[in-house]
Amino acid sequence: MKTPAKILAAQVSRIEESGRFYPRSEALPTWCPGCGYFGIHQGIVDCISSLGLPLHEIVTVSGIGCAGRYPFFSKTYGLHTVHGRTLPAATGIKLAKPGLTVFAIGGDGDGLAIGGGHLPHIARRNIDVNYVLFDNSIYGLTKGQPSPTSPLGSKTKASPYGTVDQPLNATLMALTYGASFVARLFAGDPKGITDALIQGVQNPGFSVFHVYTSCVTFDKTFKTWTNLKKWVHPLPAGYDPTDIHVAFDQVLKDDFSMGIIYRRKN
Amino acid sequence: MSEVDFTVEVCGMAGDGTIAAGGLINEAMSLGGFSVLGFDSYPAEIRGFGRCVTKSRIGSTDIVALGEQTHALISLNDEQSRSRAVFLDDHALVFFDSNPPSYVSEEKSLLSTLSNNVEVFGLPFGDLAVASGAARSKNLVALGGFAAVTGIDPSLFRQVILKKFKAKGDRIVDINIKSFDAGYDYALEKFHDRLKNWFAKSGTQYDSDKVMMSGNQAIGMAAIEAGLKLYFGYPITPATPIMEYLAKWLPEKGGRVVQMEDEISSIGAVLGSFYAGERAMTATSGPGFALMTELITHGVMAEIPAVIIDAQRAGPATGLPTKTEQSDLHAAVFGGPGDSARIVIAPTNVEECYYMVLKSFQLAEKYQTPVIVLTDFFLDNRVENLHTPRASDELRACWNVFPDESPGNRYLRYEDTSSGISPRAIPGMQGYNYTATGLEHTESGSPDYSSEIHTKMTEKRHRKIRNALEDLQQPTEFFSSDQLDVGVIGWGSTFGSVLEAVAKSKKNGFRVGALKITSIFPYHSDIIKAFMAKSGFVLIPELNYEGQLANLLERLNSKPVERLNLVTATPIPPSAIQKRIEELLEVGA
Ligand SMILES: Cc1ncc(C[n+]2csc(CCOP(=O)(O)OP(=O)(O)O)c2C)c(N)n1
Ligand code: SF4
Repeated sequence: MKTPAKILAAQVSRIEESGRFYPRSEALPTWCPGCGYFGIHQGIVDCISSLGLPLHEIVTVSGIGCAGRYPFFSKTYGLHTVHGRTLPAATGIKLAKPGLTVFAIGGDGDGLAIGGGHLPHIARRNIDVNYVLFDNSIYGLTKGQPSPTSPLGSKTKASPYGTVDQPLNATLMALTYGASFVARLFAGDPKGITDALIQGVQNPGFSVFHVYTSCVTFDKTFKTWTNLKKWVHPLPAGYDPTDIHVAFDQVLKDDFSMGIIYRRKN
Repeated sequence: MSEVDFTVEVCGMAGDGTIAAGGLINEAMSLGGFSVLGFDSYPAEIRGFGRCVTKSRIGSTDIVALGEQTHALISLNDEQSRSRAVFLDDHALVFFDSNPPSYVSEEKSLLSTLSNNVEVFGLPFGDLAVASGAARSKNLVALGGFAAVTGIDPSLFRQVILKKFKAKGDRIVDINIKSFDAGYDYALEKFHDRLKNWFAKSGTQYDSDKVMMSGNQAIGMAAIEAGLKLYFGYPITPATPIMEYLAKWLPEKGGRVVQMEDEISSIGAVLGSFYAGERAMTATSGPGFALMTELITHGVMAEIPAVIIDAQRAGPATGLPTKTEQSDLHAAVFGGPGDSARIVIAPTNVEECYYMVLKSFQLAEKYQTPVIVLTDFFLDNRVENLHTPRASDELRACWNVFPDESPGNRYLRYEDTSSGISPRAIPGMQGYNYTATGLEHTESGSPDYSSEIHTKMTEKRHRKIRNALEDLQQPTEFFSSDQLDVGVIGWGSTFGSVLEAVAKSKKNGFRVGALKITSIFPYHSDIIKAFMAKSGFVLIPELNYEGQLANLLERLNSKPVERLNLVTATPIPPSAIQKRIEELLEVGA
């Protein structure tokens, strides 16, 4: 059977064999076996490796949630703050030490519910932070309540009759708020995540990486691996990510096209 | 030299130049070598918009509290000034416009409300101003009249007028000086048989080192001197002037002010900046402070420094935004989840605002914890003339406790040392990478929920804060003696009134002493206990309903602490404290 430790060990040897250095901490991720977060983790690790960034010049900041645990699994400097306050802390770090590379990590509850008020403001200040939003459309750590991105009608223990609130669209929000780099990605495609991160980290402003992922423990019906794999597809051929009108058009008409949605020309 | 203790008020409508006139009085008297304490107080009974009142207390010896009785009222608008009549001293002087441009009916006039002993001086403010070049300068005419009657050297006013209006050009300076002189000459001539010449006789020495500043200005200056790199804030009365001051002056020193989206993000960013190794600060008032408490406890748990100014205002929720109170003490000391001991200090005057804010950065760094500086509306907005505060290298020095140069085998970020202080690495230091967390954690920083770890680390954090006492200012005793009938303990902006009340009671022959407490948490219990033990009665006057400091300290005394709690949302008058002291002694006798 594939235990998380075994999956991890396989990944470790694969990365080690690739000859890249190794930004994972000794602490093994505490996520459930099969959780989409492993894929995102791998995407980030590969990005750091490829760019050859010195680990002591990276800070990984997070709030609270399963996603918020991420900094413990990384060998960079880490700051695990309280629920929803990832982006203000990241702002403080980046302004204090502009030379650092800052990754802000958080779930959809952390970033769009309790912390939702901060997203527009870091975007309009265009602080050079790389925000990786782990969007599983559910509250994982508190064991399965609806989140701001849960599809209409989602049934959970806290919404036994189905949710009645419209879900938020984080990609659309990031575009609307004026983020200078917006990518929509899929946890089942770590390579895609790595490629987008490599470009986004080099963007000298606020970058949002909206990652669709699966919570295998609390969501058995909607964002399952099977569904996500069926739904996601690349952006159309010839797509121009530097045109904001094209970007809005694309996001409004298609929730599942993946890739670099928008990149501000510098 | 005769003793001067003189309170003057200027009252007018917005647009009359009331605040400007009050400011010029403060500056001129400071230049004249007097001690000055000024405060723009807005009466609670405001009806209609725009009434302005400035109050200045001027003394030949140190002034530590606001005056209660007004010795001179300069009325720039008689209808508005009527409300000030009740505060006039029996023999007060009143300056008013003898030819008001708008008609005021008999029963609405200022003169109809004055008692017989008050002396009135009518000058045609408006007419003289127009003759000097601009109707708007009638406040200067009024100052001229005031200076002539009380005997203030006119050159003091001319100097401060020049300084104030220089930037606006020669013509404006000229009009204002002319207006002042017109009022001055008119009064000399017209009132030659009634001139008081009080100030002329006082012969106070000019002190070139004295400057006039408000508490908020002192805080801003201190933060800059401390090498502040980033200020994050969200506007709220009465803390906003700190942000505005820094917005103007911090960029010059290479720092930056960021107006954040709320108080939560402000403290979040301050923690982020300190985590990354740079000094940062935020300032707020009660409602904003309440929002910050969760992250403040994050600073406690993750051991990240922060400097937070809580400029208290009155009441819960939005309360009384422009009024003063000392009711956030419990929120500052206890606010937030868990056993989250942090450092809380409270300056009692403008000078202490400066030195304590400077020190707060070092305390935050060394003890790796949020430091809360409690001020209040009265302390923030009053102006005092004080010896130019200077930041010594010692006070500016970095107190960060870094780990050794060479990373050992394994860096323990939260090492359980005997002092409780663990060396703190900052991002960029190679070989020390760690994750700071608000979760309970082991010495290495890994989350851990075991009873043993939580017990051990809670104990460590508290030990660290207790040890901070060694760097925290000790209580200061005034009018010390082996035995006291009443010992009065004061904190924050109230302490000036305590000091004055105790001085007066002592003059009346009572055995009284005062203790000033600026370290609110942790506090020096031994010193406080000893003071209490030798006091027959211990009295703690506070501008809050429950007696928040009294609640904190009562356990140190053998019998219940006496309280004087006012929720008038105005500074405590020294006379109220003096009355209470003398009542206690009568009852006790
Ligand atoms: C102020 C506050 N409120 C509530 C919580 C409880 N809480 C912890 S995680 C969480 C939701 C996490 O959901 P999400 O951000 O989507 O992350 P996930 O666990 O799915 O990765 C909540 C509500 C908290 N820690 N703090
Ligand atoms: S609860 Fe869901 S999101 Fe959290 S680790 Fe498990 S699978 Fe992942």
